[in-house]
Amino acid sequence: MSLISMKFILFVAAAVAGYYLMPKRVQWVWLLLFSYIYYASSGIKLLFFLIYSTLVTYAAGRLLSVVRTSCRDKKKIRKYGRLIIAGGLVLNFGMLAVMKYTNFVILNINSLFGTDLDFVSLLLPLGISFYTFQSTGYMLDVYWGKCDPEKNVLRFALFVSFFPQILQGPIGRYSRLAGQLYTSRSFDFQRIERGIELILWGFFKKMVLADNAGVFVSAIFSDPEKYAGLSVFGVLGYSIQLYGDFSGGMDVVQGIANLFGITLDENFRRPYFARSITDFWHRWHITLGTWMKDYVFYPVSLSGWMSRFGKFAKKRFGKSTGRVLPICLANLIVFLVVGIWHGAAWKYIVYGLYNGMIIAVSGLLGGQYRRWKKALHIAGNPWWYQLFQILRTFILVNISWFFDRADSVPQALYMMKNAVTSFTPSQLLTIPVQQSGSTAMTAAVLVIIAAGCTLLFFVSILKERGVQIRESLAMRPLAVRLAVFLALFFALPCLGQPPSLTGGFIYAQF
Amino acid sequence: MEQLLEILEDIQPDADYAACETLIDDGILDSFAILSIVSELEDTFGIAITPAEIIPENFNSAKALWAMICRLKEEA
Repeated sequence: MSLISMKFILFVAAAVAGYYLMPKRVQWVWLLLFSYIYYASSGIKLLFFLIYSTLVTYAAGRLLSVVRTSCRDKKKIRKYGRLIIAGGLVLNFGMLAVMKYTNFVILNINSLFGTDLDFVSLLLPLGISFYTFQSTGYMLDVYWGKCDPEKNVLRFALFVSFFPQILQGPIGRYSRLAGQLYTSRSFDFQRIERGIELILWGFFKKMVLADNAGVFVSAIFSDPEKYAGLSVFGVLGYSIQLYGDFSGGMDVVQGIANLFGITLDENFRRPYFARSITDFWHRWHITLGTWMKDYVFYPVSLSGWMSRFGKFAKKRFGKSTGRVLPICLANLIVFLVVGIWHGAAWKYIVYGLYNGMIIAVSGLLGGQYRRWKKALHIAGNPWWYQLFQILRTFILVNISWFFDRADSVPQALYMMKNAVTSFTPSQLLTIPVQQSGSTAMTAAVLVIIAAGCTLLFFVSILKERGVQIRESLAMRPLAVRLAVFLALFFALPCLGQPPSLTGGFIYAQF
Repeated sequence: MEQLLEILEDIQPDADYAACETLIDDGILDSFAILSIVSELEDTFGIAITPAEIIPENFNSAKALWAMICRLKEEA
Protein backbone atom coordinates (compact mmCIF):
# COMPACT_ATOMS: atom_id res chain seq x y z
CA MET A 1 0.00 0.00 0.00
CA SER A 2 1.65 3.19 -1.19
CA LEU A 3 1.94 6.00 1.34
CA ILE A 4 0.70 8.37 -1.37
CA SER A 5 -2.71 6.87 -2.02
CA MET A 6 -6.31 7.35 -0.99
CA LYS A 7 -6.28 3.76 0.32
CA PHE A 8 -3.49 4.62 2.74
CA ILE A 9 -5.19 7.85 3.89
CA LEU A 10 -8.35 5.87 4.66
CA PHE A 11 -6.27 3.19 6.39
CA VAL A 12 -4.62 5.78 8.65
CA ALA A 13 -7.97 7.47 9.34
CA ALA A 14 -9.46 4.11 10.40
CA ALA A 15 -6.42 3.32 12.53
CA VAL A 16 -6.58 6.70 14.31
CA ALA A 17 -10.37 6.61 14.80
CA GLY A 18 -10.25 3.08 16.19
CA TYR A 19 -7.26 3.88 18.42
CA TYR A 20 -9.12 6.60 20.29
CA LEU A 21 -12.41 4.65 20.42
CA MET A 22 -10.72 1.53 21.84
CA PRO A 23 -10.59 0.84 25.57
CA LYS A 24 -7.23 2.36 26.56
CA ARG A 25 -5.66 -0.86 27.77
CA VAL A 26 -5.90 -2.42 24.30
CA GLN A 27 -4.85 0.59 22.23
CA TRP A 28 -1.44 -0.98 21.63
CA VAL A 29 -3.11 -4.19 20.40
CA TRP A 30 -5.02 -2.09 17.88
CA LEU A 31 -1.73 -0.59 16.68
CA LEU A 32 -0.24 -4.08 16.35
CA LEU A 33 -3.24 -5.29 14.37
CA PHE A 34 -3.04 -2.36 11.95
CA SER A 35 0.73 -2.72 11.66
CA TYR A 36 0.37 -6.34 10.58
CA ILE A 37 -2.51 -5.54 8.22
CA TYR A 38 -0.38 -2.82 6.66
CA TYR A 39 2.63 -5.09 6.18
CA ALA A 40 0.47 -7.95 4.88
CA SER A 41 -1.06 -5.60 2.31
CA SER A 42 2.29 -5.76 0.46
CA GLY A 43 2.02 -9.55 0.28
CA ILE A 44 0.87 -12.05 2.87
CA LYS A 45 4.05 -14.14 2.39
CA LEU A 46 6.17 -11.21 3.53
CA LEU A 47 4.76 -11.60 7.04
CA PHE A 48 6.99 -14.65 7.43
CA PHE A 49 10.14 -12.49 7.37
CA LEU A 50 8.73 -9.98 9.81
CA ILE A 51 7.62 -12.70 12.23
CA TYR A 52 10.96 -14.50 11.84
CA SER A 53 12.97 -11.39 12.73
CA THR A 54 10.62 -10.63 15.64
CA LEU A 55 10.84 -14.13 17.10
CA VAL A 56 14.63 -14.44 16.70
CA THR A 57 15.33 -11.19 18.53
CA TYR A 58 12.61 -11.74 21.12
CA ALA A 59 14.01 -15.20 21.90
CA ALA A 60 17.56 -13.83 22.14
CA GLY A 61 16.41 -11.19 24.62
CA ARG A 62 14.56 -13.73 26.74
CA LEU A 63 17.47 -16.19 26.69
CA LEU A 64 19.89 -13.47 27.78
CA SER A 65 17.57 -12.69 30.65
CA VAL A 66 17.29 -16.36 31.66
CA VAL A 67 21.09 -16.76 31.64
CA ARG A 68 21.53 -13.67 33.80
CA THR A 69 18.98 -14.75 36.38
CA SER A 70 19.88 -18.43 36.56
CA CYS A 71 23.68 -18.22 36.39
CA ARG A 72 25.90 -16.73 39.09
CA ASP A 73 29.29 -17.16 37.50
CA LYS A 74 30.18 -13.94 35.62
CA LYS A 75 32.43 -15.77 33.19
CA LYS A 76 29.65 -18.19 32.28
CA ILE A 77 27.18 -15.34 31.85
CA ARG A 78 29.62 -13.67 29.47
CA LYS A 79 30.26 -16.89 27.57
CA TYR A 80 26.60 -17.84 27.15
CA GLY A 81 25.70 -14.24 26.41
CA ARG A 82 28.20 -14.15 23.57
CA LEU A 83 26.85 -17.41 22.16
CA ILE A 84 23.26 -16.17 22.26
CA ILE A 85 24.12 -12.84 20.66
CA ALA A 86 26.23 -14.54 17.97
CA GLY A 87 23.35 -16.89 17.16
CA GLY A 88 20.88 -14.01 17.07
CA LEU A 89 23.12 -11.95 14.79
CA VAL A 90 23.72 -14.85 12.39
CA LEU A 91 20.03 -15.72 12.18
CA ASN A 92 18.83 -12.14 11.82
CA PHE A 93 21.49 -10.81 9.45
CA GLY A 94 21.72 -14.17 7.69
CA MET A 95 18.16 -13.77 6.45
CA LEU A 96 18.82 -10.19 5.37
CA ALA A 97 22.01 -11.23 3.57
CA VAL A 98 20.34 -14.12 1.75
CA MET A 99 17.36 -12.07 0.62
CA LYS A 100 19.31 -9.00 -0.39
CA TYR A 101 22.73 -10.13 -1.57
CA THR A 102 22.43 -13.65 -3.05
CA ASN A 103 22.12 -12.42 -6.63
CA PHE A 104 24.94 -9.90 -6.15
CA VAL A 105 27.22 -12.75 -5.04
CA ILE A 106 26.13 -14.89 -8.02
CA LEU A 107 26.75 -11.97 -10.41
CA ASN A 108 30.30 -11.49 -9.07
CA ILE A 109 31.08 -15.23 -9.09
CA ASN A 110 29.94 -15.39 -12.73
CA SER A 111 32.06 -12.43 -13.78
CA LEU A 112 35.12 -13.56 -11.77
CA PHE A 113 35.15 -17.24 -12.73
CA GLY A 114 33.29 -17.10 -16.05
CA THR A 115 30.57 -19.39 -14.69
CA ASP A 116 26.95 -19.26 -15.73
CA LEU A 117 25.09 -19.66 -12.46
CA ASP A 118 21.41 -18.76 -12.67
CA PHE A 119 20.06 -15.93 -10.60
CA VAL A 120 17.70 -16.90 -7.83
CA SER A 121 14.20 -15.50 -7.80
CA LEU A 122 13.88 -14.01 -4.32
CA LEU A 123 11.38 -11.66 -2.77
CA LEU A 124 12.89 -8.58 -1.20
CA PRO A 125 10.59 -8.02 1.76
CA LEU A 126 9.72 -4.34 2.11
CA GLY A 127 11.56 -2.55 4.87
CA ILE A 128 13.60 -5.65 5.79
CA SER A 129 16.79 -3.60 6.34
CA PHE A 130 14.97 -1.24 8.67
CA TYR A 131 13.26 -3.77 10.91
CA THR A 132 16.27 -6.07 10.94
CA PHE A 133 18.45 -3.22 12.19
CA GLN A 134 15.85 -2.05 14.70
CA SER A 135 15.35 -5.50 16.21
CA THR A 136 19.10 -6.23 16.22
CA GLY A 137 19.71 -2.96 18.07
CA TYR A 138 17.26 -4.12 20.75
CA MET A 139 19.05 -7.46 21.06
CA LEU A 140 22.44 -5.77 21.54
CA ASP A 141 21.00 -3.26 24.02
CA VAL A 142 19.72 -6.16 26.12
CA TYR A 143 23.13 -7.87 25.84
CA TRP A 144 24.93 -4.74 27.04
CA GLY A 145 22.39 -4.17 29.79
CA LYS A 146 21.15 -0.92 28.28
CA CYS A 147 17.52 -2.07 28.44
CA ASP A 148 15.48 -4.84 30.01
CA PRO A 149 14.12 -7.56 27.71
CA GLU A 150 10.45 -7.43 26.80
CA LYS A 151 8.49 -10.34 28.24
CA ASN A 152 5.34 -10.04 26.15
CA VAL A 153 5.99 -11.26 22.60
CA LEU A 154 3.04 -9.31 21.18
CA ARG A 155 4.22 -6.05 22.69
CA PHE A 156 7.65 -6.75 21.27
CA ALA A 157 6.07 -7.52 17.88
CA LEU A 158 4.60 -4.01 17.89
CA PHE A 159 8.03 -2.49 18.55
CA VAL A 160 9.40 -4.25 15.44
CA SER A 161 6.39 -3.65 13.19
CA PHE A 162 4.90 -0.23 14.09
CA PHE A 163 3.42 0.56 10.68
CA PRO A 164 4.37 4.20 10.03
CA GLN A 165 8.08 3.49 10.34
CA ILE A 166 8.44 -0.09 9.11
CA LEU A 167 9.10 0.72 5.45
CA GLN A 168 11.73 3.46 5.65
CA GLY A 169 12.54 4.11 9.27
CA PRO A 170 13.54 5.97 11.32
CA ILE A 171 15.35 3.07 12.97
CA GLY A 172 13.94 3.26 16.49
CA ARG A 173 15.58 2.43 19.81
CA TYR A 174 13.70 0.23 22.22
CA SER A 175 14.47 2.49 25.21
CA ARG A 176 12.85 5.51 23.56
CA LEU A 177 10.10 3.97 21.42
CA ALA A 178 8.66 0.95 23.21
CA GLY A 179 7.27 2.81 26.21
CA GLN A 180 5.51 5.26 23.93
CA LEU A 181 3.89 2.46 21.93
CA TYR A 182 2.33 0.87 25.01
CA THR A 183 1.16 4.10 26.68
CA SER A 184 -2.57 4.70 26.47
CA ARG A 185 -3.86 8.09 25.36
CA SER A 186 -7.02 10.16 25.08
CA PHE A 187 -8.06 12.05 21.96
CA ASP A 188 -6.40 15.45 21.60
CA PHE A 189 -7.42 17.72 18.71
CA GLN A 190 -4.18 19.71 18.84
CA ARG A 191 -2.15 16.51 18.46
CA ILE A 192 -4.16 15.53 15.38
CA GLU A 193 -3.82 18.99 13.87
CA ARG A 194 -0.06 19.02 14.32
CA GLY A 195 0.28 15.53 12.94
CA ILE A 196 -1.69 16.43 9.80
CA GLU A 197 0.35 19.60 9.40
CA LEU A 198 3.59 17.60 9.38
CA ILE A 199 2.14 14.99 7.00
CA LEU A 200 1.16 17.74 4.53
CA TRP A 201 4.61 19.35 4.76
CA GLY A 202 6.18 15.95 4.12
CA PHE A 203 3.98 15.34 1.08
CA PHE A 204 4.84 18.84 -0.17
CA LYS A 205 8.57 18.00 0.00
CA LYS A 206 7.97 14.66 -1.68
CA MET A 207 5.46 15.54 -4.42
CA VAL A 208 6.33 19.14 -5.24
CA LEU A 209 10.09 19.12 -4.74
CA ALA A 210 11.36 15.56 -5.02
CA ASP A 211 9.03 14.26 -7.70
CA ASN A 212 9.37 17.33 -9.94
CA ALA A 213 13.16 17.27 -9.61
CA GLY A 214 13.04 13.51 -10.18
CA VAL A 215 11.66 13.97 -13.70
CA PHE A 216 14.81 15.87 -14.74
CA VAL A 217 17.11 13.55 -12.79
CA SER A 218 15.67 10.45 -14.45
CA ALA A 219 16.04 11.95 -17.93
CA ILE A 220 19.64 13.10 -17.36
CA PHE A 221 20.87 9.92 -15.64
CA SER A 222 19.14 7.60 -18.11
CA ASP A 223 20.87 9.23 -21.08
CA PRO A 224 24.11 10.81 -19.81
CA GLU A 225 25.56 11.16 -23.32
CA LYS A 226 22.62 13.09 -24.73
CA TYR A 227 22.49 15.28 -21.64
CA ALA A 228 26.26 15.55 -21.07
CA GLY A 229 25.97 19.31 -20.53
CA LEU A 230 23.38 18.79 -17.80
CA SER A 231 25.40 16.45 -15.56
CA VAL A 232 25.81 19.12 -12.90
CA PHE A 233 22.06 19.82 -12.96
CA GLY A 234 21.43 16.09 -12.81
CA VAL A 235 23.32 15.72 -9.57
CA LEU A 236 21.97 18.94 -8.05
CA GLY A 237 18.49 17.77 -8.97
CA TYR A 238 19.22 14.45 -7.30
CA SER A 239 20.34 16.19 -4.13
CA ILE A 240 16.94 17.95 -4.09
CA GLN A 241 15.07 14.79 -5.03
CA LEU A 242 16.72 12.55 -2.46
CA TYR A 243 16.42 15.05 0.38
CA GLY A 244 12.81 15.93 -0.50
CA ASP A 245 11.89 12.28 -0.89
CA PHE A 246 13.56 10.87 2.20
CA SER A 247 13.10 13.76 4.63
CA GLY A 248 9.57 14.33 3.26
CA GLY A 249 8.87 10.64 3.84
CA MET A 250 10.20 11.01 7.39
CA ASP A 251 7.88 13.98 8.01
CA VAL A 252 4.92 11.90 6.81
CA VAL A 253 5.96 8.99 9.03
CA GLN A 254 6.58 11.27 12.03
CA GLY A 255 3.26 13.04 11.40
CA ILE A 256 1.36 9.74 11.38
CA ALA A 257 3.11 8.63 14.57
CA ASN A 258 2.19 12.01 16.11
CA LEU A 259 -1.49 11.25 15.42
CA PHE A 260 -1.14 8.43 17.97
CA GLY A 261 0.81 10.67 20.36
CA ILE A 262 4.10 8.94 19.49
CA THR A 263 7.32 10.82 18.71
CA LEU A 264 9.86 8.98 16.59
CA ASP A 265 13.58 9.73 16.55
CA GLU A 266 14.68 12.62 14.35
CA ASN A 267 16.21 11.42 11.07
CA PHE A 268 17.19 14.70 9.35
CA ARG A 269 18.54 18.00 10.67
CA ARG A 270 19.22 20.35 7.73
CA PRO A 271 21.97 18.12 6.26
CA TYR A 272 22.99 20.53 3.49
CA PHE A 273 24.09 23.02 6.16
CA ALA A 274 26.70 20.50 7.36
CA ARG A 275 30.25 21.86 7.69
CA SER A 276 32.04 18.54 7.21
CA ILE A 277 31.21 15.04 6.01
CA THR A 278 31.21 13.89 9.64
CA ASP A 279 28.73 16.66 10.43
CA PHE A 280 26.70 15.63 7.36
CA TRP A 281 26.29 12.11 8.74
CA HIS A 282 25.18 13.63 12.05
CA ARG A 283 22.38 15.35 10.12
CA TRP A 284 21.49 12.90 7.32
CA HIS A 285 19.72 9.62 8.06
CA ILE A 286 20.65 10.20 11.68
CA THR A 287 19.18 6.98 13.01
CA LEU A 288 21.25 4.87 10.60
CA GLY A 289 24.37 6.85 11.55
CA THR A 290 23.84 6.45 15.28
CA TRP A 291 22.96 2.77 14.79
CA MET A 292 26.24 2.22 12.94
CA LYS A 293 28.14 4.18 15.57
CA ASP A 294 26.72 2.30 18.56
CA TYR A 295 26.51 -1.21 17.11
CA VAL A 296 29.39 -1.37 14.61
CA PHE A 297 31.86 1.49 15.07
CA TYR A 298 32.33 1.27 18.85
CA PRO A 299 32.33 -2.55 19.09
CA VAL A 300 34.80 -2.87 16.18
CA SER A 301 37.03 -0.08 17.55
CA LEU A 302 37.08 -1.63 21.01
CA SER A 303 37.56 -5.22 19.86
CA GLY A 304 40.66 -7.16 20.90
CA TRP A 305 42.20 -7.29 17.42
CA MET A 306 41.69 -3.58 16.91
CA SER A 307 43.28 -2.90 20.28
CA ARG A 308 46.32 -4.98 19.22
CA PHE A 309 46.46 -3.08 15.94
CA GLY A 310 46.34 0.18 17.94
CA LYS A 311 49.30 -0.86 20.07
CA PHE A 312 51.27 -1.82 16.96
CA ALA A 313 50.35 1.48 15.24
CA LYS A 314 51.41 3.54 18.27
CA LYS A 315 54.83 1.86 18.26
CA ARG A 316 55.22 2.18 14.51
CA PHE A 317 53.77 5.63 13.79
CA GLY A 318 53.92 7.43 17.13
CA LYS A 319 51.33 8.09 19.79
CA SER A 320 49.14 10.59 18.00
CA THR A 321 48.81 8.88 14.58
CA GLY A 322 48.83 5.42 16.13
CA ARG A 323 45.88 6.37 18.30
CA VAL A 324 43.78 7.55 15.35
CA LEU A 325 44.69 4.82 12.80
CA PRO A 326 42.54 2.03 14.30
CA ILE A 327 39.64 4.47 14.56
CA CYS A 328 40.07 5.33 10.87
CA LEU A 329 40.09 1.64 9.99
CA ALA A 330 36.95 1.01 12.04
CA ASN A 331 35.36 4.00 10.35
CA LEU A 332 36.14 2.55 6.92
CA ILE A 333 34.55 -0.73 7.97
CA VAL A 334 31.44 1.16 9.11
CA PHE A 335 31.09 2.98 5.80
CA LEU A 336 31.68 -0.23 3.89
CA VAL A 337 28.69 -1.63 5.80
CA VAL A 338 26.72 1.59 5.10
CA GLY A 339 27.48 1.15 1.39
CA ILE A 340 26.45 -2.51 1.40
CA TRP A 341 23.32 -1.60 3.38
CA HIS A 342 22.31 0.80 0.62
CA GLY A 343 22.26 -1.92 -1.98
CA ALA A 344 23.81 -4.94 -3.60
CA ALA A 345 26.01 -3.17 -6.13
CA TRP A 346 29.61 -2.01 -6.37
CA LYS A 347 28.55 1.59 -6.82
CA TYR A 348 27.11 1.56 -3.28
CA ILE A 349 30.32 0.09 -1.90
CA VAL A 350 32.28 2.88 -3.62
CA TYR A 351 29.76 5.38 -2.25
CA GLY A 352 30.29 4.09 1.29
CA LEU A 353 34.08 3.92 1.06
CA TYR A 354 34.23 7.42 -0.47
CA ASN A 355 32.48 8.81 2.62
CA GLY A 356 34.58 6.67 4.94
CA MET A 357 37.85 7.77 3.31
CA ILE A 358 37.02 11.47 3.66
CA ILE A 359 36.15 11.07 7.34
CA ALA A 360 39.24 8.92 7.97
CA VAL A 361 41.56 11.44 6.30
CA SER A 362 39.90 14.29 8.22
CA GLY A 363 40.50 12.36 11.44
CA LEU A 364 44.15 11.77 10.62
CA LEU A 365 44.72 15.40 9.61
CA GLY A 366 42.75 16.90 12.51
CA GLY A 367 45.84 18.38 14.19
CA GLN A 368 47.20 19.59 10.86
CA TYR A 369 43.94 21.43 10.09
CA ARG A 370 44.21 23.26 13.42
CA ARG A 371 47.77 24.32 12.58
CA TRP A 372 46.78 25.49 9.07
CA LYS A 373 43.92 27.51 10.52
CA LYS A 374 46.30 29.16 12.99
CA ALA A 375 48.85 29.90 10.25
CA LEU A 376 46.13 31.55 8.14
CA HIS A 377 45.09 33.64 11.18
CA ILE A 378 41.53 32.28 11.18
CA ALA A 379 40.34 32.77 14.73
CA GLY A 380 37.19 30.96 15.83
CA ASN A 381 34.58 30.33 13.15
CA PRO A 382 33.83 33.55 11.25
CA TRP A 383 30.74 33.46 8.98
CA TRP A 384 32.76 33.34 5.75
CA TYR A 385 34.74 30.35 7.01
CA GLN A 386 31.53 28.54 7.95
CA LEU A 387 30.10 29.33 4.51
CA PHE A 388 33.26 27.96 2.88
CA GLN A 389 32.93 24.77 4.95
CA ILE A 390 29.24 24.38 4.02
CA LEU A 391 29.92 24.82 0.28
CA ARG A 392 32.92 22.48 0.40
CA THR A 393 30.84 19.81 2.15
CA PHE A 394 27.95 20.29 -0.28
CA ILE A 395 30.28 19.68 -3.23
CA LEU A 396 31.77 16.58 -1.57
CA VAL A 397 28.27 15.25 -0.86
CA ASN A 398 27.19 15.84 -4.45
CA ILE A 399 30.19 13.86 -5.69
CA SER A 400 28.95 10.96 -3.57
CA TRP A 401 25.46 11.33 -5.09
CA PHE A 402 26.92 10.54 -8.52
CA PHE A 403 27.86 7.07 -7.22
CA ASP A 404 24.52 6.68 -5.48
CA ARG A 405 22.33 7.61 -8.46
CA ALA A 406 24.29 6.47 -11.51
CA ASP A 407 23.74 2.96 -12.85
CA SER A 408 27.39 2.02 -12.34
CA VAL A 409 30.74 3.38 -11.15
CA PRO A 410 31.97 4.05 -14.76
CA GLN A 411 28.78 6.01 -15.48
CA ALA A 412 29.26 8.02 -12.27
CA LEU A 413 32.84 8.88 -13.24
CA TYR A 414 31.77 9.76 -16.80
CA MET A 415 29.10 12.13 -15.49
CA MET A 416 31.53 13.67 -12.99
CA LYS A 417 33.88 14.46 -15.84
CA ASN A 418 31.02 16.01 -17.84
CA ALA A 419 30.00 18.07 -14.82
CA VAL A 420 33.23 20.05 -15.06
CA THR A 421 33.83 19.95 -18.83
CA SER A 422 30.38 20.43 -20.35
CA PHE A 423 27.67 22.94 -19.44
CA THR A 424 24.51 23.57 -21.50
CA PRO A 425 21.76 24.67 -19.08
CA SER A 426 19.37 25.62 -21.92
CA GLN A 427 19.03 21.88 -22.63
CA LEU A 428 16.94 21.64 -19.45
CA LEU A 429 14.02 23.13 -21.40
CA THR A 430 14.10 20.20 -23.82
CA ILE A 431 13.25 17.65 -21.12
CA PRO A 432 9.57 16.69 -21.21
CA VAL A 433 7.80 16.77 -17.85
CA GLN A 434 4.45 15.38 -18.94
CA GLN A 435 3.56 11.83 -19.81
CA SER A 436 2.63 12.93 -23.35
CA GLY A 437 6.26 13.92 -23.92
CA SER A 438 5.38 17.59 -24.20
CA THR A 439 7.83 20.25 -23.01
CA ALA A 440 5.12 22.93 -22.75
CA MET A 441 5.23 22.81 -18.93
CA THR A 442 8.98 22.29 -18.49
CA ALA A 443 9.82 25.93 -17.71
CA ALA A 444 6.90 26.15 -15.30
CA VAL A 445 8.05 23.02 -13.44
CA LEU A 446 11.57 24.45 -13.17
CA VAL A 447 10.10 27.61 -11.62
CA ILE A 448 8.07 25.46 -9.18
CA ILE A 449 11.22 23.58 -8.14
CA ALA A 450 13.13 26.85 -7.66
CA ALA A 451 10.28 28.37 -5.63
CA GLY A 452 9.93 25.19 -3.54
CA CYS A 453 13.68 25.11 -2.85
CA THR A 454 13.60 28.79 -1.82
CA LEU A 455 10.76 28.09 0.62
CA LEU A 456 12.57 25.04 2.00
CA PHE A 457 15.80 27.04 2.30
CA PHE A 458 14.17 29.78 4.39
CA VAL A 459 12.32 27.27 6.57
CA SER A 460 15.64 25.45 7.11
CA ILE A 461 17.47 28.68 8.02
CA LEU A 462 14.77 29.53 10.57
CA LYS A 463 15.01 26.03 12.07
CA GLU A 464 18.80 26.20 12.10
CA ARG A 465 18.51 29.42 14.10
CA GLY A 466 16.30 27.66 16.61
CA VAL A 467 12.95 29.13 15.54
CA GLN A 468 10.16 26.72 16.48
CA ILE A 469 8.05 27.08 13.33
CA ARG A 470 5.36 24.55 14.22
CA GLU A 471 5.04 25.95 17.73
CA SER A 472 4.64 29.51 16.48
CA LEU A 473 2.12 28.38 13.85
CA ALA A 474 0.13 26.63 16.56
CA MET A 475 -0.24 29.98 18.36
CA ARG A 476 -1.73 31.73 15.28
CA PRO A 477 -5.52 32.15 14.85
CA LEU A 478 -7.46 29.26 13.35
CA ALA A 479 -7.96 31.15 10.04
CA VAL A 480 -4.17 31.46 9.54
CA ARG A 481 -3.57 27.80 10.37
CA LEU A 482 -6.37 26.77 8.03
CA ALA A 483 -4.90 28.91 5.23
CA VAL A 484 -1.50 27.20 5.64
CA PHE A 485 -3.17 23.78 5.65
CA LEU A 486 -5.19 24.54 2.53
CA ALA A 487 -2.20 26.07 0.72
CA LEU A 488 -0.15 22.92 1.36
CA PHE A 489 -3.08 20.64 0.54
CA PHE A 490 -3.86 22.26 -2.81
CA ALA A 491 -0.18 22.62 -3.70
CA LEU A 492 0.09 18.83 -3.89
CA PRO A 493 -2.20 18.15 -6.87
CA CYS A 494 -1.63 21.57 -8.51
CA LEU A 495 2.18 21.75 -8.29
CA GLY A 496 3.30 18.15 -7.75
CA GLN A 497 3.69 15.20 -10.07
CA PRO A 498 0.88 12.62 -10.00
CA PRO A 499 1.90 9.70 -7.74
CA SER A 500 0.93 7.21 -10.47
CA LEU A 501 3.89 8.47 -12.53
CA THR A 502 6.55 8.78 -9.86
CA GLY A 503 6.17 5.66 -7.74
CA GLY A 504 6.72 5.50 -4.02
CA PHE A 505 9.47 6.66 -1.72
CA ILE A 506 13.05 5.84 -2.71
CA TYR A 507 14.12 4.47 0.68
CA ALA A 508 11.14 2.14 0.94
CA GLN A 509 13.12 -0.15 -1.39
CA PHE A 510 15.79 -0.73 1.22
CA MET B 1 42.11 13.54 37.82
CA GLU B 2 44.96 15.76 36.64
CA GLN B 3 46.20 12.99 34.39
CA LEU B 4 42.72 12.71 32.89
CA LEU B 5 42.52 16.45 32.22
CA GLU B 6 45.90 16.29 30.48
CA ILE B 7 44.68 13.45 28.24
CA LEU B 8 41.52 15.37 27.34
CA GLU B 9 43.48 18.57 26.58
CA ASP B 10 45.90 16.62 24.42
CA ILE B 11 43.20 14.91 22.37
CA GLN B 12 40.73 17.74 21.98
CA PRO B 13 42.00 21.16 23.02
CA ASP B 14 39.80 24.28 23.28
CA ALA B 15 37.31 23.00 25.85
CA ASP B 16 36.89 23.84 29.53
CA TYR B 17 37.06 20.28 30.85
CA ALA B 18 37.08 21.32 34.49
CA ALA B 19 33.68 23.00 34.20
CA CYS B 20 31.88 21.60 31.13
CA GLU B 21 29.18 19.00 31.84
CA THR B 22 27.79 18.65 28.32
CA LEU B 23 30.78 17.33 26.36
CA ILE B 24 28.60 14.85 24.45
CA ASP B 25 25.29 16.71 24.47
CA ASP B 26 26.91 19.81 22.92
CA GLY B 27 28.96 17.82 20.43
CA ILE B 28 32.34 18.90 21.88
CA LEU B 29 33.52 15.30 21.80
CA ASP B 30 32.72 13.41 18.60
CA SER B 31 33.06 9.65 18.12
CA PHE B 32 36.70 9.97 16.97
CA ALA B 33 37.57 11.96 20.10
CA ILE B 34 35.68 9.52 22.33
CA LEU B 35 37.59 6.54 20.96
CA SER B 36 40.92 8.38 21.22
CA ILE B 37 40.12 9.09 24.86
CA VAL B 38 39.13 5.46 25.44
CA SER B 39 42.42 4.28 23.93
CA GLU B 40 44.45 6.61 26.18
CA LEU B 41 42.45 5.75 29.30
CA GLU B 42 42.93 2.02 28.70
CA ASP B 43 46.70 2.50 28.33
CA THR B 44 47.11 4.94 31.21
CA PHE B 45 44.84 3.40 33.83
CA GLY B 46 44.98 -0.26 32.78
CA ILE B 47 41.23 -0.59 32.40
CA ALA B 48 39.06 -2.19 29.69
CA ILE B 49 36.24 -0.06 28.36
CA THR B 50 33.44 -1.94 26.56
CA PRO B 51 30.87 -0.53 24.11
CA ALA B 52 28.29 -0.68 26.90
CA GLU B 53 30.26 2.02 28.78
CA ILE B 54 30.12 4.47 25.88
CA ILE B 55 27.05 6.38 26.91
CA PRO B 56 26.64 10.16 27.40
CA GLU B 57 26.36 9.71 31.19
CA ASN B 58 29.98 8.50 31.28
CA PHE B 59 31.47 11.03 28.85
CA ASN B 60 29.57 14.28 29.42
CA SER B 61 32.13 15.67 31.88
CA ALA B 62 35.62 15.02 33.22
CA LYS B 63 33.98 14.22 36.55
CA ALA B 64 31.80 11.53 35.00
CA LEU B 65 34.79 10.11 33.14
CA TRP B 66 36.77 9.98 36.37
CA ALA B 67 33.91 8.19 38.14
CA MET B 68 33.85 5.60 35.34
CA ILE B 69 37.63 5.10 35.56
CA CYS B 70 37.45 4.57 39.34
CA ARG B 71 34.56 2.12 38.98
CA LEU B 72 36.29 0.09 36.25
CA LYS B 73 39.52 0.01 38.27
CA GLU B 74 37.62 -1.40 41.25
CA GLU B 75 35.88 -4.00 39.08
CA ALA B 76 39.12 -5.10 37.41
